[in-house]
Amino acid sequence: MERTERLLDLVALLLDAQEPLPWSEIRAAFPDDYGGPSTEASERKFERDKAELLELGIPITFVSGDDDVPDGYVIDKNAYYLPEVGLTPEELAVLYAAGSAALASGAFPGRQDLAHALRKVGFFSDGPLPAPKVRLELGGVADARDLPGRLDLLWSAINARKSVELDYYSPHTKALTKRKVDPWGLALRRGLWTLVGFCHLRQAPRSFHVHRIRALTVNAQRPKSADFEVPPDFRLDDYVATWPWQFRFHPPVDVGVELKGELAPLASRLFPAQPTAGERVTLTVRATYLEGLLKYVLSLGADARVVSPPDAVERFRGMARRVLDAHAGGPTS
Amino acid sequence: MTGTAEKGRPQVHERLRRLLFLVPFVAKNPGLPVDEVAKKLGVGREELLEELDLLTLVGRPPFQPDDFVDIYVEDGRVYVDLDQRLSAPPRLTAAEGVALAAAAALLKPAGGDALTAALAKLETVLPPHAVQRYRAMAKTLDVAMEAPDGLATLSQAIVERREVELDYFTAGRGQTERRRVRPQELFSHRGLWYLAAHCLTRGDARLFRLDRIAGLSLTDVRFEPQEPATRAMPGVVDAAGEVRVRFAPAVAPWIVERFGDAARALPDGAVEVTVPGDSERWLTQWILSFGGDAVVVEPGWAKDAVARAARASLDSD
Repeated sequence: MERTERLLDLVALLLDAQEPLPWSEIRAAFPDDYGGPSTEASERKFERDKAELLELGIPITFVSGDDDVPDGYVIDKNAYYLPEVGLTPEELAVLYAAGSAALASGAFPGRQDLAHALRKVGFFSDGPLPAPKVRLELGGVADARDLPGRLDLLWSAINARKSVELDYYSPHTKALTKRKVDPWGLALRRGLWTLVGFCHLRQAPRSFHVHRIRALTVNAQRPKSADFEVPPDFRLDDYVATWPWQFRFHPPVDVGVELKGELAPLASRLFPAQPTAGERVTLTVRATYLEGLLKYVLSLGADARVVSPPDAVERFRGMARRVLDAHAGGPTS
Repeated sequence: MTGTAEKGRPQVHERLRRLLFLVPFVAKNPGLPVDEVAKKLGVGREELLEELDLLTLVGRPPFQPDDFVDIYVEDGRVYVDLDQRLSAPPRLTAAEGVALAAAAALLKPAGGDALTAALAKLETVLPPHAVQRYRAMAKTLDVAMEAPDGLATLSQAIVERREVELDYFTAGRGQTERRRVRPQELFSHRGLWYLAAHCLTRGDARLFRLDRIAGLSLTDVRFEPQEPATRAMPGVVDAAGEVRVRFAPAVAPWIVERFGDAARALPDGAVEVTVPGDSERWLTQWILSFGGDAVVVEPGWAKDAVARAARASLDSD
């Protein structure tokens, strides 16, 4: 019997059972599969099947019986069946918009998981389900052909806690390095995906841009057992820069930024800092990469400027002057 | 990792969860055309028919005639008579929950209260034993996007086919005008978000930039879906033409990565890139964000725009 078929039969059998099913009955129900001469081999086969079902979230457990009920296996029906999620149309719309956008972008890890999740949350809705009408660009690089496959492979390695080997390209040195990495997680920032994990070459946690991975293999040894543990206090946010002025290896500088005009009301979205009230707002931004902050403020236009400390102000004005000088003349070619 | 992919066949894991959804889905929606069911499941027609064949073998011991799943195609439509207690799909797995929560975060913070509420409800439909795994796995996928205000409202309007009213600033006219539109599609392109809609005020298909929309309100007027108008991507129809930009050697490797073969290498280590000149504001911001390492080569209007912006920054007080 094909394995998929046998597993489905098992689910149907256990969902229908009124009381725990002893191993002897399961064995008798599938004589061709579990009824071989070696009890031990049959039990191992059943254990593998059970593990596969557990992996799918099917709550199959062994319960000890008593005088009335035998020892045996059950599927907890309450824990099996999806209940009504009770989403309002607006909530369903926003989940569908986000989920479809992620799927349509192509560059999202766990696409199969996501597609199944969307089907399930929409299962009880009676009207027509929202169609993908939101599209977004992810990846942010010219050559994104390998990105979807790499993300899915990394997602499965992260979930199974399997180590990966990768060839990592540095645009700076234009060289490839081979790394063995314990993948801890994936983060998306400004359209780019970053892998964070323990790098065996550097013997420390490192982050890697997924689009710079040129080759990727997952450790195929003992696929069901984890290769590593993720530190309990691990947070992706500690390893990926959310803002262009964050870079882990520099000492921090507190920089004063002033916003006015149409930027003033947007202050709390443009910077992760508490702005002052008023038509002109100032905020203090802790920068570990000053150059990145200055460029960001400059790109916001004339309603944004750096006001302290003095050397940051001088560098900011110098940067604006360089841009002006380069553009003030006629065509340069 | 679960199972091994056999030649051209989906993994056991993937097939199982597909089939455990398929039976209850058909039971709840009897008589849907084969193609529609296949589309819902994300598989081809032939693949669906193969899955239906397999399901007719599925049942529970002792495999009497009434012990099998009775699912069949009649006149091109799919029905199920006996679902063998597969009356609802299984709950979400931890991985499904995490993938959905991470995707939802793409619309943060624009998703607002609806998103927060949806995610809280989502956690309640995970199997009790999966909640802990879900929380642990949630730490492995962290998504942050800069989704603009209005994205959630417009998503809802598209899904529920409701007309919206908005104030739109037209750069060409230099003024703001109240519009009533039927939203069709939202998309991001080169860092900007656009709404494709049928504009009732103009009586024609229009593209709106989300950062120029204000005073957005949802109406209770519903509209029938129509064939989306063929629309050009932003920039293609614009008469502004192309802009040539030169990047200093210091940033060249990153530009090559971003633009691939479209980045032309120059003898001194710099690279040049040509981009559409449809949005002066986007172009200016982009050039300024390189802090002097990017210079517009031509045309003159684009150089002037960047020079004006840099001078305005210097003169600002």
